[in-house]
Amino acid sequence: MLYAAQLVTRVNKLLFDSVKWVIFLIAGLMLFEVISRYTFTAPTSWAPELATLLFGPFFLFGGPYLLHIGGHVAVDIVSANAKGRTKLLLTALSMLLALVFGAILLRFSLPLAVSAFEYGETSYSGWNPVIWPAKAALPFAALLLILQALAELIVLFSGKETAQ
Amino acid sequence: QEKVTWRMQALWGGGTTPMLYEEKFAKRVSELTGGSFEITTFAGGQIVPSAQSFDAVRGGAFELMKTFDGYTAGKIPSHGFSSTVPFGFPEADMYEAWFYEAGGLDLAKKSYAPAGLTYVAPTVYGEEPLHSKVAIRTIADMNGLKGRFVGLAASVLADFGVAVSPLPTSEVYSALDKGLIDFADRGDVKANYEEGLHEVAKYLILPGFHQPTTATSYVANTAAYDKLSDQHRAALEVSAREVSGALRQNIMVDNAEYLAKFEAAGVEIIRLDAADIAQARVKAVASWEKAANGDDVALEMMNTQKDLMAQFGLL
Amino acid sequence: MTSSFILIGMFSSLVALMLSGAGLAFVLGAIAFLSTIFIWGPNALIVTTLNTFETMTSESLMAIPLYVLMASILQKSGIIEDLYEAMEKWFGNLHGGLAIGTVVICTIMAAMTGVVGAAVAAMGILALPSMLKRKYHPPLALGAICAGGTLGILIPPSVVTIVYAITAQISIGKMFIAGIIPGIILAASYSIYIYVRARLDPTIAPINEDMADIPLGEKLRALKTLILPFFVIISVLGSIYAGIATPTEAAAVGVFGAILSSAISGRLKVDQLSQAAADTLRVTAMILWITIGARAFISVFVATGGADSILSFVQDLEASRWVVLAAMMFILILLGLFLDEIGIILLCVPVFLPIVKLLGFDPLWFGVLFMITAQMAYITPPFGYTLFYLKGVLPDHIGIGQVYRGVIPFFLIQVVVLILFIMFPQIVTWLPELGSAQLQ
Ligand code: NA
Ligand code: NA
Repeated sequence: MLYAAQLVTRVNKLLFDSVKWVIFLIAGLMLFEVISRYTFTAPTSWAPELATLLFGPFFLFGGPYLLHIGGHVAVDIVSANAKGRTKLLLTALSMLLALVFGAILLRFSLPLAVSAFEYGETSYSGWNPVIWPAKAALPFAALLLILQALAELIVLFSGKETAQ
Repeated sequence: QEKVTWRMQALWGGGTTPMLYEEKFAKRVSELTGGSFEITTFAGGQIVPSAQSFDAVRGGAFELMKTFDGYTAGKIPSHGFSSTVPFGFPEADMYEAWFYEAGGLDLAKKSYAPAGLTYVAPTVYGEEPLHSKVAIRTIADMNGLKGRFVGLAASVLADFGVAVSPLPTSEVYSALDKGLIDFADRGDVKANYEEGLHEVAKYLILPGFHQPTTATSYVANTAAYDKLSDQHRAALEVSAREVSGALRQNIMVDNAEYLAKFEAAGVEIIRLDAADIAQARVKAVASWEKAANGDDVALEMMNTQKDLMAQFGLL
Repeated sequence: MTSSFILIGMFSSLVALMLSGAGLAFVLGAIAFLSTIFIWGPNALIVTTLNTFETMTSESLMAIPLYVLMASILQKSGIIEDLYEAMEKWFGNLHGGLAIGTVVICTIMAAMTGVVGAAVAAMGILALPSMLKRKYHPPLALGAICAGGTLGILIPPSVVTIVYAITAQISIGKMFIAGIIPGIILAASYSIYIYVRARLDPTIAPINEDMADIPLGEKLRALKTLILPFFVIISVLGSIYAGIATPTEAAAVGVFGAILSSAISGRLKVDQLSQAAADTLRVTAMILWITIGARAFISVFVATGGADSILSFVQDLEASRWVVLAAMMFILILLGLFLDEIGIILLCVPVFLPIVKLLGFDPLWFGVLFMITAQMAYITPPFGYTLFYLKGVLPDHIGIGQVYRGVIPFFLIQVVVLILFIMFPQIVTWLPELGSAQLQ
């Protein structure tokens, strides 16, 4: 169990460390668009759209590992002073809420991503790419969030700390 | 009979003219059913972003939506033809005639049915203008200009030599102001005046060939629709058709009033030659075919539209 | 009366769960989900997912990671620390000088973006370490960043202003111009407050005695550290105002400018870029996951009629026009306790504007009051998005309690300025009216 929890954390960390570079790609695409529109009067239809399509997966995939490092903002006035059993319960509650949130996102986004795939849904823009990969990022990130919340609960009740 | 309450999300902001007509629509449905069918209206984006209404109604979050089929043209190619066609029907009445007299309505129903949705009726109205910082007096003048367009218009205008940027609607004012683009489409005449486009673009070009006529649609969740009595269904259809005419006439009057305001603000109104547009229409047909993307319903819509245009002497 | 019941239910569960210390994104999301199931039906849960799809492709929200990346690169390469050192040399013996300098930078930042999350997170990364290092009292430093960072709503360009103008059907251009003077007045008021406060109690913003007699030559030499930050600022502002880029694209230009600056200063390292990217993802994921939860919360709140009772209260209010105006402002702040600014606008403007017009108030002037109130809602404890965004970039030893304490004086300044603008509407309206007079 504990091993599985550590594995989940490691996968999410790896994902976080890879996805963070995407922001340079987004910045580069937008800069490219600015230059080609302003300097060459040749705006592309794909560069700004690709940037927006990357944006969703970028921040979504950062979420699960953020749960592990406590990066999701919380009001810590009460919990900072809590000790022992109370603290444990409060932490468990917060992981449960993340779990509920992830589960419902997964339950409702998966069919939408599948239907986008089945329709071969495109964005109906000048570039007109298929958009299911971007939509699929949501159920995928939700699943990883659920797994991370479970991992945190396992570690919490086993009384051990995982290595970051 | 049993009382039915539905939710409907519309396309427009709260307090705007078209939104008032959606409220009239709901009121009319209630009147026609002796108060046994109540529709609560929500402004565009209040519950879900307008472009996501399709899936919200499918999923049953609310029973009815006012949508613009163009939002789902990436899923269902025929929706390009049931929303607005660049260089398409020049008169709203002609487009509405296609729906009610030339099989358009049945095709629209056919396009929505597989998704578990029921197309009720369109609201059809006229053109949206173009706003430009440079004088565009012929279609050929657009060649080499930077323009803001979205949807099918983006690809069609690219074929006419426009460098198209798909900027968000909220950026149109500043993009024209700062000269990021030379010309743009946005909303109807009144809405564009209220947004202040006369401050940033000295030319207003008519007709808006990129969007000569527009249809928005009432679409219901099929499971909910199937439970309605015949009277309730009839009330939806009658009220929708009533609102379509009423809103169109309102826009017609507003357009005249607001075009005068544009002129008073020093904007030159350029009216393009019908022959020039007719010529461009022939060229646009190739883009329409591309947009149909081999889809049966889309091809059927396109062909019935082309036939009707030929009858009207437009093609 | 069911709608007031919903209002109370959603609000009290928000406060209770929030205080449990759970992640805000999940608290908002979970309440949205549970209320949806109980009062709207499980089918409606799909709404929360659909809102997320829209958030995922928002061009304006993309400004957040870009500005945070720009800030983080500038900070990591030491360019900002140089800037604060220079500021210290010039204003080190001015009471609260660095916090005032921070408000000035915030004001410049406000002219670059209207996305509050972008400005506040970026300023938290840029300005906070330098102020804390010089023993500034955390609440003062935090308050200055929170208040300064929200100026972006009022000072153009601003997404909120655009949404207001469109909903209220007034010119975006006029609305933009109307925000400039009030924005500057607010910034000046913050600065004056900081100066007076630091003068009365120098321990909260220690004066560096060593800086008292720095020779002019050294001061002038320090000015060269301004070159790189100014280069970045000008590349961003220049590309917006010369019509080269949209505000979000300009942020990408700023990232490029930051990389170039850190290369010029000879401190560009791959390791720093990696850390900056990690910071960016951390902050962006934090803000955007909250946005997902907040959007879910808002759509449930609206669709189930949670806001109806408050809004109909104003509609039915038969009192003097000033009482009605005050009631509207109060409701804006109240709704701002748990809605974001776009949600507030979509909800309130269609209800309030007919009342505003009926009472004979100017919608443009009301718009400015609205934006200031939106700023106040953003920083009012316990629930203000600015507070949370800033908390997300704080070092671990600073809790949200310090942020709460820090913003209260700035909130009060906003109240005073708001009353000033209500009493003297000309302060707000003369510039846009001058602009339109010239147009004719
Ligand atoms: Na701004
Ligand atoms: Na607040």
